[in-house]
Amino acid sequence: MSMQIALAKGRLEKPVVNMLAGCGYGVESLRDKGRALVFQDSRKDIRYFLAKANDVITYVEHGVADIGIVGKDTLMEGGKDYYELLDLKVGVCRFILAGLPENPPLQKVGHLRIGTKYPNVTRQYFHSRGMDPEIIRIDGSVELGPLLGLCDGIVDIMETGTTLKENGLVVFDEVCPLSARAIVNRASFKLKREEIMTVIRDLERGGEYAEGN
Amino acid sequence: MTEFRLPQGMRDLIPQDCERKQKFRGAIEGIFDAHGYQPVETPAVEYYETYRSAFGTVKDREMYKFLDQDGEILTLRVDMTVPIARLCATKYAQAQPPFRFRYCADVFKVRELFAGKRAQVTDCGIELIGGDSRSDIEVLSIALEVMDHLGLSGWQLEIGNTGFFRRACEQLQISEADASVLADLIDRKSLVDLKSRLDGFGLSAEGRRLLEELPMLGGSDALARAEQLSFSDGLRREVDTLRQLDLSLRQRGYGSRISCDFGKVPHLNYYTGIIFEGYASGAGVAVLSGGRYDSLLQRFGRDLPACGFSVKLDYLMDAEGGETE
Repeated sequence: MSMQIALAKGRLEKPVVNMLAGCGYGVESLRDKGRALVFQDSRKDIRYFLAKANDVITYVEHGVADIGIVGKDTLMEGGKDYYELLDLKVGVCRFILAGLPENPPLQKVGHLRIGTKYPNVTRQYFHSRGMDPEIIRIDGSVELGPLLGLCDGIVDIMETGTTLKENGLVVFDEVCPLSARAIVNRASFKLKREEIMTVIRDLERGGEYAEGN
Repeated sequence: MTEFRLPQGMRDLIPQDCERKQKFRGAIEGIFDAHGYQPVETPAVEYYETYRSAFGTVKDREMYKFLDQDGEILTLRVDMTVPIARLCATKYAQAQPPFRFRYCADVFKVRELFAGKRAQVTDCGIELIGGDSRSDIEVLSIALEVMDHLGLSGWQLEIGNTGFFRRACEQLQISEADASVLADLIDRKSLVDLKSRLDGFGLSAEGRRLLEELPMLGGSDALARAEQLSFSDGLRREVDTLRQLDLSLRQRGYGSRISCDFGKVPHLNYYTGIIFEGYASGAGVAVLSGGRYDSLLQRFGRDLPACGFSVKLDYLMDAEGGETE
């Protein structure tokens, strides 16, 4: 049975394509992709398409993609109507709480304002600590928030920490670790269980190929 | 307002759509009729309180709510099982069971914005209330007959038993609150989060193994593996319940169409035993769902076991095939 796999564009694209290639999938066209959006596997009956991380969830929830590869950060913020079968252990990074060193948000007594691209994650994190800050959605360069005095702290993804450091921000807490996950449409899993599990098992042992050669 | 728009999540059907939908409906209702199920209708509007009594915890945000003349909260019905449980427990308070009801009606859920999900769906289903131990097999075989009769190009019916998970939690002394967190992770087969959650529980090795494997306890070897993982007679009995059903459905020739999944544990405050869903190629969500809900009727004043299922006609429209005669 033919299968459709949605891959999140960007950060995760390269390691995941490397993993697929290492496991014997015909993903050459994904490496040299030009402006195409849909790619046929040259060896198996699989079609790949690249999508924005958020859209990967939408495609999988609707079943137009059987499998989606997307970061845990996106999953935590979005819908939940899918199976989450595998941690690919690539694209590893963290959600952190950061701010200016002289203003630790967790110690603040008065009204607390937190800027983030991830309001749901932020709300959950603070609620689990019995705190109820005002959350302000910022779409890009979240670091600006505390620097300009818009908010007391930010919840964001941190890979290396360079951007924070260069802007004089420090990490106050780690919210949770993040990495790429494989999600599966519920109906597809019932109708194509064996085919899907083959891909999942391949990805599970494909970690060594993530770096490429 | 100068434009005329559809409310979020709503759709119009043009004649071609209606024709396909009505064909499905006719085929399904013919089968229900042949098995002696009688039609009932309930109002599209119920008191919010009715749903709250039924579920304990209702999904508030999924309900369309408004007020009546006295300021009481009304809601558009979110399913047909609860209204029929109410109807049966109140209108047939004295009558001799079993009751066999069928229905075909629209149910409503508020969906997230711009997600392309339907807010109004036609449910076409049956409820068998107050039947004996043969109810499960009766309802399941009607569900299979329906799926088989629709002329779909590919379909599967998956059966689970929530009793297995429930009993495991009881015996491992997992609190109800923790159990509902675990049930959610297991039902979504969220393997990574489940493992890290179980780390904090301090379970016995056998208990941990069972819960950790539960999400993937499906497919062809599900029954055998569940038996191996069972650490008590109670759990083995739950496996056996499913095995008996599996066996008799196989004898009826549905071997290639059914599978078992012990990791199917949604809505634990509702389903009490078997639970099943039907999937069809082309439809991204289950087109049929049902199960046993033995504690629902008593919340309306009459303690009767019950099971049933419904076909979501609008989801069925997306399936491949289905050109019934």
